[in-house]
Amino acid sequence: MGKKKHGPTLEELLSRPWCYYCERDFDDLKILTSHQKAKHFRCEPCGRRLNTAGGLSVHMSQVHKEQLTEIDNALPNRSSVDVEIFGMEGIPEDVLQAHNQRVATNFYAAEAERQAATGNPPAGSTGSGRPSKRPKMESKEEIKKRLAEHRAKRQAAASGATPEANSPAANSVGADQSSATTPATVSTFPLPSRSTPSSLVASPVHAFSYPQPYGGFAASAPPYPQSASPVYQGYSPASMQATPGTPVFPPSGYAGYSGYPPQYPGQPTYGAAPPQFTHPGNGTTPPNLAYPPSFIPSQSTTPQPNGYSTPPGLPQRPSFAAPAAPAAPELNTQPAQQTQAVQQNQPVQQNQQAQQLHEGQPGKATATEADGKAPVPEKAKKRKIRLVYPEQELSPEEKRAMLPKYAYVRPADH
Amino acid sequence: MSSNQFNVASPPTDAITALKFSPDPESTRIAVSSWDKNVYLYDLRDENGEVGEGKLLQKFEHRAPVLDLCFGQNENEVFTAGLDWDVRKIDLNTSTQTVLSTHDQPVRHVVYSPEHNIVISSSWDSTLHVHRLDDGPDSEPVPATVPLPSKPFAISLTPTKLVVGMASRAFNIYDLKALALLTAQSDSTSTNGTRVEVEPWQRRESSLKFMTRAVACMPDDLGYAMSSIEGRVAVEWFDPSPESQARKYAFKCHRQTDEAEDTDIVYPVNALAFHPVHGTFASGGGDGVVALWDGITKRRIRLYPKYSSSIAAIGFSGNGKYMAIGVSPGFENGEEDLEGMAEGAVQVFVRKLSETEAKGKGPK
Repeated sequence: MGKKKHGPTLEELLSRPWCYYCERDFDDLKILTSHQKAKHFRCEPCGRRLNTAGGLSVHMSQVHKEQLTEIDNALPNRSSVDVEIFGMEGIPEDVLQAHNQRVATNFYAAEAERQAATGNPPAGSTGSGRPSKRPKMESKEEIKKRLAEHRAKRQAAASGATPEANSPAANSVGADQSSATTPATVSTFPLPSRSTPSSLVASPVHAFSYPQPYGGFAASAPPYPQSASPVYQGYSPASMQATPGTPVFPPSGYAGYSGYPPQYPGQPTYGAAPPQFTHPGNGTTPPNLAYPPSFIPSQSTTPQPNGYSTPPGLPQRPSFAAPAAPAAPELNTQPAQQTQAVQQNQPVQQNQQAQQLHEGQPGKATATEADGKAPVPEKAKKRKIRLVYPEQELSPEEKRAMLPKYAYVRPADH
Repeated sequence: MSSNQFNVASPPTDAITALKFSPDPESTRIAVSSWDKNVYLYDLRDENGEVGEGKLLQKFEHRAPVLDLCFGQNENEVFTAGLDWDVRKIDLNTSTQTVLSTHDQPVRHVVYSPEHNIVISSSWDSTLHVHRLDDGPDSEPVPATVPLPSKPFAISLTPTKLVVGMASRAFNIYDLKALALLTAQSDSTSTNGTRVEVEPWQRRESSLKFMTRAVACMPDDLGYAMSSIEGRVAVEWFDPSPESQARKYAFKCHRQTDEAEDTDIVYPVNALAFHPVHGTFASGGGDGVVALWDGITKRRIRLYPKYSSSIAAIGFSGNGKYMAIGVSPGFENGEEDLEGMAEGAVQVFVRKLSETEAKGKGPK
């Protein structure tokens, strides 16, 4: 679950295979070798891919009578033909050391930078460290107190308070609710996830007086920190692209909804108390589809009336309200929060992702493309055959002759 | 690499249908026929007879796309096969066109046999027309029509044989002498295009499972190579003895592997041409690749870098020193490719072959 926060660890980075010639690193050795064959060991005249520089050299001299002098696409100091490289094998020790050194340096630099930027403790101490425990410890007494406070406020506000006054209150109720019913869920929303860009964006909401539970809650709202975390590590477009092949979209019954992954991971944890909720909630696809971009404004601006009055257009609410009536207000604010928090950066990503999935999953070709060929299927013994010209009795010229532009009508005299 | 290859200026404006060198060993003339209704005549020699990059000598416009052509007795005579059903003779010196005969369907191929001085055309009307040119320049040669069991897709001849590859994987091999004699006899009995049933010397079924695309006979008159639309070439021998027939074989070529889709993309082998000196042959495929093969030792000699689009035709010069390659967007991916025929997509490359470039290797 919330194990990986900030991307790969140093060990993971160091263990990644990388290319001697261009210093690129790869997910696994197979991709590295195919990269080398395609980029560095390809014979220019005939396009043949050799396994090693030596092989290419022999091929060039025998087939094309040419001398291989340097490796294509290599860094300036790595273009020597003499070093026999295959995958990770054959890399000189000093180069290997230098590479590891550089990876480590970069890693620490990035970490320091991140800490400076987010004000977070180092990655190692975040997961189970001080901040994440706090919400748990606090929750029991404080939250009850807060709930009482909030209820009072709510009732006062019901007469016509400003939305700003409402939203934090609603939030706290939400937090309270979830922690009261399922304390365990709170622990799954460790505070540090606030540092993620999504919750940073949500900072206007954050600034309220209940940072821990709320922070935890906000974390539960946007999907990335939890179930999606291994994938979303960097939030970079690159890592976004990696999603289609990863388990973010579980193989269970959700395949059909996988186009809307951001909601999905968020919801199960949220609906942990009444488990059956998630399915009806997710089951109604059209609302799900609609609500990240279009439902946001209506909800976030009018949390209050929705809170107690009739269910809004959201289908989740009625279904949620059925199992646990008091949860209604919280439920209502939840999507609002979620969307608020995510509003700025998520919809974009969401759409991207949805698009990717829509195109990528059925097509599969684009998916693999986006992944950089990560999920390469096991090679079947017998390849499929695709005939470029599949006709059997009609020659290409006959077919072409049928085109209107070649139509020729003989003069009548013949 | 590129210094010994150049592309000829002013190529056809639509896809190439055929490309032939004059068989005259001294000649460096290339004739190219195209869907743009023209026959293009190029010569690699300049005014002083120096062989250079070649230039367009002349263009001969036809009524309809020209599907094939061949040189006649010398480098000044060309026969063409047209989509307008006509078989024509072009005198390159005077630029006069003469209609030799008219089929009932577009004419697909035309070949000339210098040994018997006959022009044979094949048409989608499932006939051959045999035109004897001996009757003298004045009298109009009267063609004899030889019915075929199926639509002909490819023809090729040697000094003694004519190989016709047809639909339904049928092959007829005619003895040219018999063909010439029989059609000559029938000629005298009728005035206008008699039908002559000529029993082929051999009837064969294609050794390839898919539609025949090209046929080329060995210069030593011993056999032929044929190709299909399914990336495969077969080499066969005329000699009907079991020993010779046992030597025939086929191999796969002009294929690409799509790793992501785990499929083999199989291209048609559009062009086959034997080297007149070394007896090796070249194949050109829809993948834009030209390969040189040694049909005897069953080895590939060379694989040239991929061209920008499909190889439509290949020809060797009479002395075997040049190989010309006609490149044009093919029918590979259906009609949509034809619409987007880009400027410069159709090209004629000429490759100067080094002494040993097309020479067969010794057996392994």
